[in-house]
Amino acid sequence: MSSADVIIQQLMNGVTLGGMYALIALGYTLVYGILLMINFAHSEMFMGGAYVGLGMLLWLTNESFPASEFFTGSTFGLIALYVIVFAVSALAIGVLGVVIERLAYRPLRHAPRLAPLISAIGVSIFLQNAVLLWVDSKALPYPMFFPVKPAITIGGATLSTLQLLIIGTSLALLFILDTFISRTKIGKAMRATSQDREAAGLMGININYIIALAFFIGPALGAVAGVFHGMYYGTVVFSMGFIPGIKSFTAAVLGGIGNLRGAMLGGFTLGIVESLGAGFLSTGYKDVIAFGILILVLIFRPGGLLGESVVEKV
Amino acid sequence: MKVRNRRLLAIMAALVAVSMIATGCGGGETTDTGEEPAAEAMAIKIGIGAPLTQGAVALGQGMKRGAGLAISQANESAEAKELGITFQAVDGDDQGDPKTGVTVANTFASDPNLVGVMGHLNSGVSIPASKVYQDNKIVMVSPASTNPALTLQGFSAVNRVCATDDVQGPVGAESAFGKLGFKSVVVIDDSTPYGEGLAAEFAKKFEELGGKVLFTEKTSDKDSDFNALVTKIKAANPDLIYYGGIYNAGAILAKQASDAGVKAPLMGGDGLYDGEYINLAGAEQAEGDFCTSIGLPVDKLPKGQEFSAAYKALFPNDEIAAYDAYSYDAANVIIAATLAVAKEMGADAVTSPEGRDAIIAAVRGFSGEGVTGPISFDENGDTTNKAITTYKVVSGAWAAEILPE
Repeated sequence: MSSADVIIQQLMNGVTLGGMYALIALGYTLVYGILLMINFAHSEMFMGGAYVGLGMLLWLTNESFPASEFFTGSTFGLIALYVIVFAVSALAIGVLGVVIERLAYRPLRHAPRLAPLISAIGVSIFLQNAVLLWVDSKALPYPMFFPVKPAITIGGATLSTLQLLIIGTSLALLFILDTFISRTKIGKAMRATSQDREAAGLMGININYIIALAFFIGPALGAVAGVFHGMYYGTVVFSMGFIPGIKSFTAAVLGGIGNLRGAMLGGFTLGIVESLGAGFLSTGYKDVIAFGILILVLIFRPGGLLGESVVEKV
Repeated sequence: MKVRNRRLLAIMAALVAVSMIATGCGGGETTDTGEEPAAEAMAIKIGIGAPLTQGAVALGQGMKRGAGLAISQANESAEAKELGITFQAVDGDDQGDPKTGVTVANTFASDPNLVGVMGHLNSGVSIPASKVYQDNKIVMVSPASTNPALTLQGFSAVNRVCATDDVQGPVGAESAFGKLGFKSVVVIDDSTPYGEGLAAEFAKKFEELGGKVLFTEKTSDKDSDFNALVTKIKAANPDLIYYGGIYNAGAILAKQASDAGVKAPLMGGDGLYDGEYINLAGAEQAEGDFCTSIGLPVDKLPKGQEFSAAYKALFPNDEIAAYDAYSYDAANVIIAATLAVAKEMGADAVTSPEGRDAIIAAVRGFSGEGVTGPISFDENGDTTNKAITTYKVVSGAWAAEILPE
């Protein structure tokens, strides 16, 4: 590999990683935009998604399952398998997100802002330990049915089918969500709620519905990222959510928390910076670089890259 | 409203009291070792310090089983029955984390009947925990902590039955360069005392022998994303990747490297020597990888067959993991020392300060044949048994490749 190939390869690694960060970061930003609350249990949505996906993959491809041959036998079956796995995982975790909102956050909606934050940390620890007790404490291997051979080759740099799928899916989902928020009526209601919850309620918007929707979409996207993470790195463990969670939260803040396009930009920026930093300086320094950039951005642009400067209301 | 609250409080208090009685109100959980202690027998406790829920869980659970086997055998022995002693294992889940390890050590130290600790796994945990044991006169025998610093602290109560990194790393380098013919290597470690020590010792010897270290790199033991590093490795094109660390991150590195088309096999220390490594990396990706581990393969040792049979009888569903035999030996050393002291000073004196001192001295002076070979300790508490075996993944399982001379 020439040094140009290495740069291209690291950029590709970075974009793949960034796609996953962006998907998770959207969950943080959606909830923050509407409730001004940081959902610290979101990293566990990501972890839970990976586990649900793993369960589905193992169940559908098990020989005792009637259609297992169809799913592993042909390319069409494989595509069907992955669509089902992602859909079920996203749906299950989306519902879990709504349930958590109803049980752990809604009763605290009018409490001081610290209370739901602590509740979120509690939910996060609860979910981690639930998986630890119900599934297993040790890391589990993630089955991969995609061929690992490169799909695209640029010089010495290669992009695998899975990397291509991660980048493509995350971009597609980000585009769909962006269109949904900016073009549809419900999206408009969400934006209104984000601007002023009380006033939006007075205008006839069902606030509870809008908040529940945000708690469905965010975790569902997180779950998709979780399944990708499991496949890409080949393993899941109950504590896997913490580091990607904190990185994605960073990405959301980097882009300007509450801003959807900011979360996407932040996710990809962080992923690329991290990969280049790990590749050209040292793997040990990749977190130092990522968080160093966050601190610099926050010092010079407190609202984040795309954040709006908040006008002080008098 | 007030009355209701008070009643609720009373019910809660009663519930807490009942649950405390039910769980024996202990700091740690006690493991059932098969036999109920006789009413008049004195319960001597041995702490099991190992990662049981986080970190290298497969190794930690194996350690617990190995020591559990030793304890259940000791409880059936005529010697213990005659002296009126039963041994009880107390689990201490250190999660492979130094802070948690110290908490576990302090919990052990608060138990007046606990005289010894079989543990810990990670050097990073053993080193801070060992200070607590030394201060509280609890004898410690580690089956697996290989960082040399552990026994260089001058602690009389701290011992280990495994050879250190400065033995294992160089043997790995000799195998890799001399016998397997790898000329260039990329050295990676997981930033823990264990991984750093091992990787540094390997790299030093490899260069001494004339091999080429292309670059060295640090990662974290909790990392799962090695793609940027793999790209770097691919560009350097080494003959071999050396990884100082534990299997759960090492396997992911091996998998990602292999999937990205890196042809060089991965080599590591005893932290990789577990079936979970192959399971996590994938049999195909792990094929041809190497590791060094302490001692001889269990089936090559005189007492190995006997151990395997007893192990299978007690734990029919589990495979023998890397440190099970060492944990068995480590627990047996503590048991033998305790019984010797009980014989001399009386069973009641075992837990007294004098008895504890005598146990500490008896462990250091121990000499005998274990499953892993001859066991005795030098003046620092290091084992005098320095055999290292090199293993290779052959058709999806670890197989001994180079035996010590």
